[in-house]
Amino acid sequence: MPSEAIEREVEKFLFKEARLLDDWKFHEWLELFTEDVHYWMPVRTTRYSRESKAIAVLDRAHQRVDELANEDELAIFDETKQTLNMRVARLDTGQAWAEDPKSRTRHCITNIEVEEGDNANEVQVFNNFITYRNRLETEVDIFVGRREDTLRKEDGDWKICRRKIILDQNVLLSKNMSIFL
Amino acid sequence: MLDPRDLVDTDNWLISRKLFFDREVYEQELENIFARCWLYLGHESQIANPGDFISAYMGEDPVLVVRDSRGKVGAFLNTCRHRGMRVCRADAGNAAAFTCTYHGWTYGNDGKLVGVPGYKEYYYEELDMEQWGLVPVAQVESYKGLIFGTFDASAPPLREYLGDITFYLDKILDRCEGGTEIIGGVHKWTMPCNWKFPSENFLGDSYHFTVTHISAMKAQSSNMPSNIAAVRGQGFSTSPGNGHGIMIDWPNDASRPILGPPLMQQYNADIAEEMEQRLGPERANMRYSAGNVFPNVSFHVSPSIRIWHPRGPDKIEIWSWCIVDKAAPPEVKEAMRINYLRTFSAAGTFEQDDGENWSQCTESSRGIIAQRYNLNYSLGQHQERTSEEFPGQIGPRVSEHNQRYFYGRWVDLMAGTSWAEITNTITK
Repeated sequence: MPSEAIEREVEKFLFKEARLLDDWKFHEWLELFTEDVHYWMPVRTTRYSRESKAIAVLDRAHQRVDELANEDELAIFDETKQTLNMRVARLDTGQAWAEDPKSRTRHCITNIEVEEGDNANEVQVFNNFITYRNRLETEVDIFVGRREDTLRKEDGDWKICRRKIILDQNVLLSKNMSIFL
Repeated sequence: MLDPRDLVDTDNWLISRKLFFDREVYEQELENIFARCWLYLGHESQIANPGDFISAYMGEDPVLVVRDSRGKVGAFLNTCRHRGMRVCRADAGNAAAFTCTYHGWTYGNDGKLVGVPGYKEYYYEELDMEQWGLVPVAQVESYKGLIFGTFDASAPPLREYLGDITFYLDKILDRCEGGTEIIGGVHKWTMPCNWKFPSENFLGDSYHFTVTHISAMKAQSSNMPSNIAAVRGQGFSTSPGNGHGIMIDWPNDASRPILGPPLMQQYNADIAEEMEQRLGPERANMRYSAGNVFPNVSFHVSPSIRIWHPRGPDKIEIWSWCIVDKAAPPEVKEAMRINYLRTFSAAGTFEQDDGENWSQCTESSRGIIAQRYNLNYSLGQHQERTSEEFPGQIGPRVSEHNQRYFYGRWVDLMAGTSWAEITNTITK
């Protein structure tokens, strides 16, 4: 199990990341990711459970029960470092109208659990988020979900090399996803 | 009933803002447009196996689209005939039968009522079960993989309703052996806008692109030209009748970058010969950017297909899928999936800025003073022509040509004109 010191480091890392996002310091935020990062938020499908009696299944072979899309299916984000850079470059143009005027965001990160990673220099981090977004006059969105992050130590600094975002919505209750989670 | 001709001035092409927020207009649209027209329900590949089902909507009515145990595709109002509970609450799955979880009425995947708890004890066998199956969608038909339905038994057959838009749809649906399929998953999201703003945008708005989407174009400059005028290209808008429309690049300049990675461009070159064999030289070489089948299903070169579900006069729910050639190599399908979701899903670098426009256009139509000022749809009004090679009334690429045909059809339907009369008055 990772030490408490590492847990504390990870916690500080995630809080700092949240602050950079809320302060629109996206170039500094990008530095928190490795070059090979996969930043992924799959869509969700509402399905009956295997035990459900609401339907009588005709063909078990074609009855899916998993809510989350697979990696080769649709996602809201399916990004590399290059495309994250591109998204930030878009915001820099002064012509990204969905974020001009800007969103007011507050990323709240909780329930942080740090576990051993697949490699010696990595840790697996589970954390929940409540992200509030307010924009223009009365636009309000509240995004709640869980992130499964893999953090890797590179040159003495933690960096995110994989982020899986599980948003707790079926229909995205917003007119867009123009912020980062 | 509202007279739609009071709201749309088809001589000067001025349109009342009432179209975009008014409750009375909206209720009349549900009745005269959504309850009458052919609406897109889904793709056959989503229900490939007996028992497969998907949930869908027709206007605001939930429907269940299901391939029955014998393999026949049907669609039914997704509401129990007894007390109205939704019969199926999942987005997709596989079922022989659906049980209402209120009192337990059970329906087969062909819509028939097959089980009623207490049929003997409480109904005394007096219920005629044959009469109480799920309400079927009056007509269900497919066009090259796309399943459509209409609640109007008197609506013309699908092929006739689509008319000459099929000439252009085939560029998407029939360019390769095996047709198309849908990548797993649906992008669904909400937007506080009237359903016609996005429909008319995908239908024929080449005008907005270099203003609305400039940030995405600049950021993606690795595969977009620096000269933004080149993005619009040479081409035309066409309305091939019945309110449908599409935007076409022609003559095609093969060196012009497409919205997508080199792999997608290479794939287009790889299948060029097959496309020409199947579709002829004009369609093989043309490109489309986006289009709309009246009233609310749009397609886009990203490649995607989507429905703008109405949810009141000032709200929609968007359902969008990635559509690819079934026979395309896996790496090409992957490139298409990635390209679509990064550009034209809810987080898409292009899509985001569209929503900002449509929501604000809707919101600002509320004001009592704003309502005195009609919207201007006159762009390129006097530039219509026809063509030897391409069906439809043709207008400049950058014009509001398609929008005018869309609202022309809107007026016809909103006035309650019969299908026979509409077919006669449509300008082809």
